[in-house]
Amino acid sequence: MSSASQAVARCVNVSRIYEEDAVPVTALTNVDFELAQGEFVGLAGPSGSGKSTLLNLIGGLDRASQGEIAVDGVALQTLNETQLADLRLHKIGFVFQSYNLVPVLSAQENVEFILQLQGVHPTARRERALDALASLGIGTLAHRRPGELSSGQQQRVAIARSIVTNPVLLLADEPSANLDSATTEELLKLLRRLNDERGLSILTATHDPLVMGYAKRRVQLRDGAIVEDAAVSGA
Amino acid sequence: MSVETVASLGASRPRAAGAAPAGASKFGLAAAVAWRNLWRNRRRTWLAVGGVAFATALVQFSMSMQVGGYAAQIEAATDFFVGHVQIQRSDYVEQARFEQTINGVTSLVRSLEVRPDIRSVAPRVEAFALASVDERSFGVQVLGMDAARERRTVGFLKRINAGRMATGPDEVVLGSALARNLGAGLGDEVVVLGAGKEGGVAALAASVSGILNSGIAELDRSLMLAPINAVQGAFGLGDEAHTLVVRSADPLAGAELVGALNTELPQGAKARNWDAVLPDLRQGIELDRLGSVFLYGIIIVVVTFSVVNTFIMTVFERTREFGLLRAIGMRPGAIIGMVQLEAFCIWLLGVGVALALMVPIIVWLSSYGLYLGEEISQIETNMFLPDRIHPRLSWAVSLTAPAIMLGGVQLAALAPALRIRRLQPVAALRAQE
Repeated sequence: MSSASQAVARCVNVSRIYEEDAVPVTALTNVDFELAQGEFVGLAGPSGSGKSTLLNLIGGLDRASQGEIAVDGVALQTLNETQLADLRLHKIGFVFQSYNLVPVLSAQENVEFILQLQGVHPTARRERALDALASLGIGTLAHRRPGELSSGQQQRVAIARSIVTNPVLLLADEPSANLDSATTEELLKLLRRLNDERGLSILTATHDPLVMGYAKRRVQLRDGAIVEDAAVSGA
Repeated sequence: MSVETVASLGASRPRAAGAAPAGASKFGLAAAVAWRNLWRNRRRTWLAVGGVAFATALVQFSMSMQVGGYAAQIEAATDFFVGHVQIQRSDYVEQARFEQTINGVTSLVRSLEVRPDIRSVAPRVEAFALASVDERSFGVQVLGMDAARERRTVGFLKRINAGRMATGPDEVVLGSALARNLGAGLGDEVVVLGAGKEGGVAALAASVSGILNSGIAELDRSLMLAPINAVQGAFGLGDEAHTLVVRSADPLAGAELVGALNTELPQGAKARNWDAVLPDLRQGIELDRLGSVFLYGIIIVVVTFSVVNTFIMTVFERTREFGLLRAIGMRPGAIIGMVQLEAFCIWLLGVGVALALMVPIIVWLSSYGLYLGEEISQIETNMFLPDRIHPRLSWAVSLTAPAIMLGGVQLAALAPALRIRRLQPVAALRAQE
């Protein structure tokens, strides 16, 4: 594990307890976790083990019931909703299981949209969006809407959207869940390339052993706690 | 654990490299999303647009009819007898005493007639007297009129339906009921006795040159018309009159004319617009207008509720999309703004359809008029109602309904859109499309 000064994300004694029909459900218990700059970490574990919860907490999409979380040195528990939204916009890229593209926008516009939220000039954001799509091999599909793209192509657009802002951290929740194995392999190579070439820190939650094969560090969760955390030799 | 907070988060966003000036490019894609989303469910969008168009068109048409109707009513009332503006001594307005006259009427009338905002001026002398024919006597209101000017100013003398207007000092016109009561016909002699200005006896003996049937019983049983010079002479008045009836160049600009006249008239004289002279008519119009506002309000509320329904469905169906936008860092206010933009587009389409339909119809009807039917035509005179209404298109007519609908539609969208503010991204992303 890397030193504290290089940490992109850090969780200290984090717990998350939900209320379901007034019954408390513990999703995470006293988790300590650190993601260093440039790491590619795979979060594994059975359904309900807390993978997505940890991802959501680090991504500022959810709030911890207890403990401290910091992303790029910013303590999330001190931020209000607007500040959290800004942190997500500027520092974190998200890749979701079901792509979550805006259906009425083309691939290019989906990627541009997040740059518009950042206030980037139209000309610059167009160039950056096209560059991002081209770098993922789908530059020629820029004007197609999500409904006109295959699952793999849609996931690439989602990745282009997540990296176009140059985030410090990419969070991917089951990115291969809806992809066939060949497309998954392509996607993983892509993520690995982004990690190797750009030094992009990646944290991905997955059931898929194939995904775990590309991670440089594997973290195993069970019943809301980390039960194994190991670097992958030769990765 | 050592952490720091970033002060720049939230209050003001750090600008990325190549950032546009604030607000310069914020709406481009949000507007595209708003517009394109309308067409994801065309039927629903067109239903909402249709509702807005229907309400706008209905209110526009009703308002144009109202404005046209009021104008016709006012024109009919003022054109009949009252004129657009009346000038009297201010104490005459309150007390109506015979000696409260305006002096120097001849020069005043001429000076008023050269004004570009005045078409004509008719001076009147108003006196009360006893009229007798043989053994019968009745109280009468004697109106001294300048027939030529009167004809240019109002249409009252057109109501002389037998004989003609009195032209000399020895002629009078009687109201039809008065003539009947006196038992007088054309050519019969009438003797008029009254009190002159200085307290002396005012006497006039004249033959009946015409019978007036105004259609208003009150006038027909009391009015006697005579040339103004004759009445002035008989009642001991000089170059005086009680009332100057003014026909303005623009009937709708009466208030401005009154304002201008009141700064220029001789001391003691006061100009009043038709609505001060005919308060009943003004109040009737105000009452009608208030009733219509209530009706328009109901129409707009009903349509607004249908638009609320549209946006409840929109927000419900796109929960996941809004969750995504929240997740990637779009602020709730910006998402709500995007939904409001969709509402604006619906409003724009609805108003566009309404204007495209109604403007040609109103313009056409403003030329040809809308016939109100035989019964209305018959009560025209007494109620000051025209038998044909010409709707009028004005900025107020064109913009009032769209402006109110804009507010209604924005409110309709805002109510469900505020739910976005409470949306939890994680829960929203799990929602089904």
